[in-house]
Amino acid sequence: MSDLNRRDVLKLGAVGAAGAVAGLGFPAVIRAQAKEVVMLGIWPFTGAFSDVGPILDRGMKMALEERGMKILGRPIKYITRDSATQAGASTRRVEEAVDGEGAKFVIGPWSSGVALAVSEVAKRKKVLHYFSGGTEDISGARCHRYSFQWAASPYTAAKTVVDTFMKANPRAKRWHLLVADYAFGWSVEKYIKEVGKTHGLEFVGADRHPLGEREFSNYVTKAAGNKPDVVAMINFGLDAVTAAREIFNFGLTPKLPLIMSWSSGVEELVQLAPEIRENLWVGSNFYYTTDTPVAKEFVKSYQAKFGGPPGYAPAAAYGMTRMLLHGFDRAKSVEVQDVVKGLEGIEVNDLVGRMRVDAQTHQTLRPFFFMRSKPKSAMKNPMDFADIIATGDTPLPAQYAACKDIGSF
Amino acid sequence: MLYALMGLGLSLITGVLNIPNFAHGALFAVGAYFLFSAIHAVGNFWLALVLAPVGVALLGLAIEYAGIRPLYAAGHDYQLLFTFGLSLILSEGIIVVWGPIGFSQLPPPLLRGGFDLGFIFYPKYRLFVMVMAGLLVLATWLFLEKTRYGAIMRAGIESKEMVSLLGIDVHRLFTAAFALGAYLAGIAGALTAPIRGLSPSMGVDMLGIAFVVVALGGLGNLLGAIAAGLIIGVAQAVVALYWTEASVAVIFAIMAAILLVRPQGLFGIR
Repeated sequence: MSDLNRRDVLKLGAVGAAGAVAGLGFPAVIRAQAKEVVMLGIWPFTGAFSDVGPILDRGMKMALEERGMKILGRPIKYITRDSATQAGASTRRVEEAVDGEGAKFVIGPWSSGVALAVSEVAKRKKVLHYFSGGTEDISGARCHRYSFQWAASPYTAAKTVVDTFMKANPRAKRWHLLVADYAFGWSVEKYIKEVGKTHGLEFVGADRHPLGEREFSNYVTKAAGNKPDVVAMINFGLDAVTAAREIFNFGLTPKLPLIMSWSSGVEELVQLAPEIRENLWVGSNFYYTTDTPVAKEFVKSYQAKFGGPPGYAPAAAYGMTRMLLHGFDRAKSVEVQDVVKGLEGIEVNDLVGRMRVDAQTHQTLRPFFFMRSKPKSAMKNPMDFADIIATGDTPLPAQYAACKDIGSF
Repeated sequence: MLYALMGLGLSLITGVLNIPNFAHGALFAVGAYFLFSAIHAVGNFWLALVLAPVGVALLGLAIEYAGIRPLYAAGHDYQLLFTFGLSLILSEGIIVVWGPIGFSQLPPPLLRGGFDLGFIFYPKYRLFVMVMAGLLVLATWLFLEKTRYGAIMRAGIESKEMVSLLGIDVHRLFTAAFALGAYLAGIAGALTAPIRGLSPSMGVDMLGIAFVVVALGGLGNLLGAIAAGLIIGVAQAVVALYWTEASVAVIFAIMAAILLVRPQGLFGIR
């Protein structure tokens, strides 16, 4: 005992304190973590689509708060990471959230190209992944048990857009396409061309532009040179808004109809002056006048909270989270594989109406909306942009289905 | 021409202050947003077009005086970090003041519509921007070449020490150069608003192009910046007609090709 000096006592004290923390403090933390259900929202807070990251976050939070941040009696821990709309950053951050924070349920990101990379992480890490939509590959060629798609299939969207537009404009046979050059653009373009065949459409041009393009004048002059009856855009967000402005500036609209095939709705329309919105036709996975009890309640509380109606982005985040929570309810379990099974084949009346998750592909079978923009004189308020003129829910025909076997866990 | 305008402003700041101004794109965006607010405040596009860039120039003046000047003694890295941080602050400031969702700003009624040239319909407003930007580049050029203060600025680019030894207040020169560069970025942003609309990230795309223009023309070389801006703009337009997908890549391909042959840029000597 005489050999024990002050330094040794301090060392022993430190070891003892550490032991006490390990024995008493940490298990409490571990117990708390085991009870929590950790959900990750991987949203674009920077980079392309950084404008929608915060509103996606809003949508997911609203769905979780409706349940009191609890599921099956367990607290939900909601965490977010910035996707930056980059596959590398997204996959790294999702892996870190799964390994470091114990996230087992991942919703997002917003870009289809990036979502495909995140889907691969979900498969490898065996965590459930919900994605809004755009590409056909999540529920197609690259389908697997852990990823689900909430938005309509690109085929459903293309069929709704082309059929409805041609019914209203049977003589508009010459189409010029302006396509975003990534997974989403390619998927919708493919099916617009397929459905177009049944109407005898002639595609006089199809130009692809990179994500984040801001100089559309050359694309527009090329489109004008092709003398189309209609210009159909298959792009999204700021790309779609910037292109629509240029198409107007170059005098194509309102003389020619302009179709935004897969639009975010409110978020894009609010950025366009009423003059630019004339003769604009809009396809979307959500519009705030959707006539369902869930949509009405969601729109009401969103408007009360944020002062304006929600567009596709918050609606998708809200809708995906609600579907995920329905999966928990059906599974009566918080284990990933049980929730996957709970979601497979689930059928609910939810945000956009009747929604069923196809167990074979993980594609949500649901309505897609087609709107016609209102002239300024017909708008009842500044956010009264459009009327829903059709909804379509034709599923992807078997001959196009690329998800042959979704596989096992 | 807008690229030349942006490149000219950035080149002036880079040449005189010897720092790459990473906030140049954000000042471009601020110019567009100032125009938008000024139109709503005064109800006249033309008056707003005068006021908005003056506002950006005053902001530039304040930035140089309060932010960059205290860092001259601290060294190059600190100034560089400051302009980078400033670009983030200005972009976030736009979101705080005007919101994350963008707006459309239509051209004034006089400049709506276009001319049908037979083979192409060309918007009147784009022609106006082309002429206006050309006149601004010319006016800046004349100011730098034909006026005494312009000569001092050019001398400042060549040798700050010599200018200082001649009894000229270099700090005032730095402030004036930054304010003029900010003015050019601001008016480029204001002119662009009716074409591309407004969004908080609109400066990011333009910053990249402005740096290409400066590097291609030769660092701090004003004539080089004008020539490079024109080359990039014309090349992008021509390539987009035949191979639209490559219209962005061509900007960087041209820069890489020219810098391989002339590392100092087209007109650069350093």
